[in-house]
Amino acid sequence: MRAAPFRTGAKRRWVGLSDTRDTLLPERIPQKHTRSVTRTDEQSPGPDIPPSGTDIITLSHLTKIFRNRTDVVAVDDVSTVVKAGEIFGLLGPNGAGKTTVIRMLTTLMRPTSGTAFVGDYEITRDPGAIRRIIGVCPQQGTLDPDLTARENLNFYGKLLDLSDAERKERIPELLKMVGLSDRANTPAGTFSGGMKRKLEIVRAFIHHPRILFLDEPTIGLDPDSRRDIWKHIRTLNEKGTTVILTTHYMDEAEHLCDRVAFMVDGKLVAVDTLENLKRAMPGGDLIEIGTEGVESTVTADLSRLENVIRVREADGIIRISAHNGSRTLPSIVSLLEHREAVITSITIRSPSLEDIFIHITGTKLDARSGGPV
Amino acid sequence: MIKGALAIFERDLRKFVRTPVLLLMSVIFPLVFLIIFGNALGGTIDHIPIGVTQEDLFRGETPLFSAAMQRMQETETFDITLYRSEEHAKTALDDGAVYAAAVFPAPYRTGGAIRLYIDSSEYLIPSVIESGFTGLIYGLGTPADIEILPIYGEIEYFQFFGVAVIVLAIFTTTMFGGGNTIIMDREMGIIEGYLTTPVKRSSIVLGMIGSGTVKAMFAASIILIVDVLIAGVIIRSLENLILILFVLLMISLGITSFIISFASRFESHVAYSALVAFFNLLLFITSGAFYPHIGMPDWLTWVSWVNPEFYSVHALRCIILRGQGLDVVYFDLVMISVFSLAAIVFGITTFRRTLE
Repeated sequence: MRAAPFRTGAKRRWVGLSDTRDTLLPERIPQKHTRSVTRTDEQSPGPDIPPSGTDIITLSHLTKIFRNRTDVVAVDDVSTVVKAGEIFGLLGPNGAGKTTVIRMLTTLMRPTSGTAFVGDYEITRDPGAIRRIIGVCPQQGTLDPDLTARENLNFYGKLLDLSDAERKERIPELLKMVGLSDRANTPAGTFSGGMKRKLEIVRAFIHHPRILFLDEPTIGLDPDSRRDIWKHIRTLNEKGTTVILTTHYMDEAEHLCDRVAFMVDGKLVAVDTLENLKRAMPGGDLIEIGTEGVESTVTADLSRLENVIRVREADGIIRISAHNGSRTLPSIVSLLEHREAVITSITIRSPSLEDIFIHITGTKLDARSGGPV
Repeated sequence: MIKGALAIFERDLRKFVRTPVLLLMSVIFPLVFLIIFGNALGGTIDHIPIGVTQEDLFRGETPLFSAAMQRMQETETFDITLYRSEEHAKTALDDGAVYAAAVFPAPYRTGGAIRLYIDSSEYLIPSVIESGFTGLIYGLGTPADIEILPIYGEIEYFQFFGVAVIVLAIFTTTMFGGGNTIIMDREMGIIEGYLTTPVKRSSIVLGMIGSGTVKAMFAASIILIVDVLIAGVIIRSLENLILILFVLLMISLGITSFIISFASRFESHVAYSALVAFFNLLLFITSGAFYPHIGMPDWLTWVSWVNPEFYSVHALRCIILRGQGLDVVYFDLVMISVFSLAAIVFGITTFRRTLE
């Protein structure tokens, strides 16, 4: 693995990407069973929402070991916080432990060791209280295929203790939101993947939960449906709902998340905002220039330009890592023209989250079997 | 083609070997069948409790009565109880304490017939009593007429069995409808959705038991109607019908609680189906549905005592075939309630409120 500069100590594992240190410090984990925050109404996202930026979920050395013939450490000593009002993305390849973290936080599994607070409640002592303030959309389909869209929502409305009047008002509203009003009385089993997913997502916030957990919300969906779902998630978040989502799609995280956490093999390897993570990339921007072939002295000259960090040339394509790429580009182009090189294409891009993920974890996100890159 | 067939063949065998319950049940199933079926359906019917009395017994026993009493005490066919009067003997018969009541004529009624009242609602037992008793009297050498009086009229095996099938209907409906639902929810992952809501585990278990009971009642009522229309079972009055429905409700609740609580422990419906199919037959056979309970060996009788279906079948036969009331079936209902309560408590306390 690369990225050694981010390792600050064996015990605390990966911390300290720019200013994220304090988000991982154990002393910020509340020691008391219940924190002294008073809330009057747990159902509504209105005035009871804690001020944006305060910690709403705290994970402290959360560990889950599945004991079987061979013990599998699914989640390995994870500590972090999620702040109220943010969209927090848990990123990692398949099998990284994202779903297990979500399952522990949503009271579906008990940690082997460590603890977590969701809202003001500890996950093993107050699971009932947690269930009242969260909405969950699990990864695999949990709609009852024999019930219609309306009946599915009604079932959950009742389980979540909504009154008849609330359900009567809320269900048509939710169905309309995801464009399923005309399919309200059709069994969910007949829906397409996208329709099912949308129905499950609105089902998760039928009761205006304070915190919404979405486990791979757009897995296997077409681009239109994904964009639709992203729009709904953002709308909800704007209304004050804290959203925790897991994904292994980098574009999803880039579109939605205020902060992201990288998970690999059960461990949390980085937590920060996208901006800070990008800034932490040593390569700055990536500039790719297509040519009809250049002399080797050209690349050497290019690497001597101001702001240029690294230059590589292969098959006529020059790949340049540079700070502040757009400002550096003119001097690169003029150097090439001066050397009479024929430029066929120019692309300039910021490093993607995928690039950052690879840089930090040494692992590709979608191709775990491929191993380190 | 061969390669494809081999692939399917291999996959299937691998799955079979990896399901220990299936493997175990496929061996144990036939063995238990042999033992249970063989003993439950082929037993010798003897030691039948019958009541004996004589008209005006206080005026002294007739030689016929004394000789018959002595012979009856010697045989293994009957376990006799002496009653003071015909009335007492018949009450015991009505209450199900004895299977028959033999009333011998008074000393002054020379040539009077012996009246043999028989509980005709049972299978095989009436004919065993009839042939055993007549053979015994004729063997005494004293000429005597015997008047056979089946107190519930002629009841065919179809009716005897038809009533018990109501219990089978309740069991199978719950097995497919109630037990499988709870497992399929887990297996299909539907449960993961509602376990994150504040619904209590008691609500989940009681809700399942409630809906299972309604489904079981529905199936039981259909079989009851079939029993009336086709088997010719008679419902005597509105009160009798209300009592029947009440007892059906109790049985449905009892058996449903039993199965739902059992099912809530399973992850895979394959293992559940294999075990429940086994229990279904074990419980039904030892319930006395096919063959009189009295014919079973002692060890199998013990299985009956802990079998809610045994009490259910008995209660239904009492109220449907014999027109008896709560005073006779209350013990059955108490036992069914005990089973229900134990099952509900077990079901709620052991229901896993997590995915582990």
